[in-house]
Amino acid sequence: MVEVFVGITAAVLIIGAWELTARAGLIAPQFLPSPSRVMVALWTMLTQQNLLWHVAVSTARVWCAFLIAAAMAIPIGILMSSYRIVGASLEPIVDFIRYLPVPALVPLSIIWFGVGEETKIFLLWLGTFFQLVLLVADDMRRVPQEFVEVARTVGANSRQVMTDVALRSMGPSLMDNLRITLGWCWTYLIIAEIVAADSGIGYVIWAARRFVKTPEVMAGVVVIGLIGLVTDQLLRLLHRRMFRYL
Amino acid sequence: MTEAYLRFENVTKRFGTVDVVSTTNLSVARGSFVVFLGPSGCGKTTLMRMVGGLDEPTQGRILLDGRQIRKPDRSRGMVFQSYSSFPWATVAQNIAFGMRYRHDIGAADKRERVRTYLDLFGLADFADVYPSRISGGMRQRVAIARTLAAGSEILLMDEPFGALDALTRERLQVELRQIQAREGKTVVFVTHDVEEAVFLADRIILFSKRPATVVADLDINATLGGERPLEIRESQTFFELRNQVLHLIRNVTGYAK
Repeated sequence: MVEVFVGITAAVLIIGAWELTARAGLIAPQFLPSPSRVMVALWTMLTQQNLLWHVAVSTARVWCAFLIAAAMAIPIGILMSSYRIVGASLEPIVDFIRYLPVPALVPLSIIWFGVGEETKIFLLWLGTFFQLVLLVADDMRRVPQEFVEVARTVGANSRQVMTDVALRSMGPSLMDNLRITLGWCWTYLIIAEIVAADSGIGYVIWAARRFVKTPEVMAGVVVIGLIGLVTDQLLRLLHRRMFRYL
Repeated sequence: MTEAYLRFENVTKRFGTVDVVSTTNLSVARGSFVVFLGPSGCGKTTLMRMVGGLDEPTQGRILLDGRQIRKPDRSRGMVFQSYSSFPWATVAQNIAFGMRYRHDIGAADKRERVRTYLDLFGLADFADVYPSRISGGMRQRVAIARTLAAGSEILLMDEPFGALDALTRERLQVELRQIQAREGKTVVFVTHDVEEAVFLADRIILFSKRPATVVADLDINATLGGERPLEIRESQTFFELRNQVLHLIRNVTGYAK
């Protein structure tokens, strides 16, 4: 409770300082609009410019790419840890791609997929899958050998060892990694939407920039932050619910 | 050693280029408490893991009741040094895990058996508690109870009390002897602690430093008797046995060199 109070107080103080600085007129408003102007812009965008629809589009893209990445990374990561041959053959490739900056692959992705939804999903997937797969492989590696051996000596087969012991054991860290990777997805989303989109928060921000509507740009950024905050808190809550024993 | 229940026949083990176990022949009688004693890292754990089916002999074979051991199964349960109780399951669920893959026991019977082992190990008050909330000694009791609940005929214990404080350790040693005698299980217990070995064992197999080979086979029952109350530790016989074993370790296992 104290932590929540401290957190809110700190946020209020920072926003207050920002408001004062902006109102003092020391900085031109097209560079630093006051928080109140940003809020007004946000309200206008919500009521007149269909902001919620853009938010929904962006969220759908993020979750679509994230779920595809997770659905692929979890089994492949587990396989990479379980079978040395899979790990040895995939790790160099994964490591190579993992270090490629996503923006560097935008042109290639446009050549491959055009400027439609596929490009955005592909870019987000690219940014998350290769990171996540190594994190999952690591989670799997950290399952204590004793747990696996105990299960085998009480008669579990390989599938049962996987579902009843390995997945249970890696559950908490896997959830953490998914939560963190979901955050990265939002980073890449903005890149994807700035480059090639006519919808989504990234597009809204980029369009506002063109007319130097700084309050709207900031409002877009605030919306992303809020979505991140809410999602993260929800996932943390889910984590606590799922792993009560921690 | 009337009946060869568990039998090592010319067993060797090498990992890569390292010889871990050199030719070992050994028979263990049903229902006996055998301690593998030897310096740390000598290969005694590997021998035990091969009984569990978790490692395979490079040469030779291990027979249980005349049948060669190839894979792990319920007949041989493992208890490890680290606390291997599952953190996501309560104490009762951990014990029940031992029977999870047994379809020959009904749900009611399983519950009944969990209750029996909870009582036997003094864990009844902690049935619904997660392992993170109980002491190391209790967690190790959970691990032993789980193995017993699985119906294992042989308990393979790899320094199970190694991480416990001295008093808890003593108490668990006494409990283990009692439960083993009561349930008639065969125990293969790995340790490098001489006093623990003498107190627990019907028979001590002393191994050399790596590659492990049997250097002495001591019948502890002949001198100490089958009953092992805590006070026996203070007896002259115990003290002499302990010294004798220590002496052997220093002079025969090659440990001192």
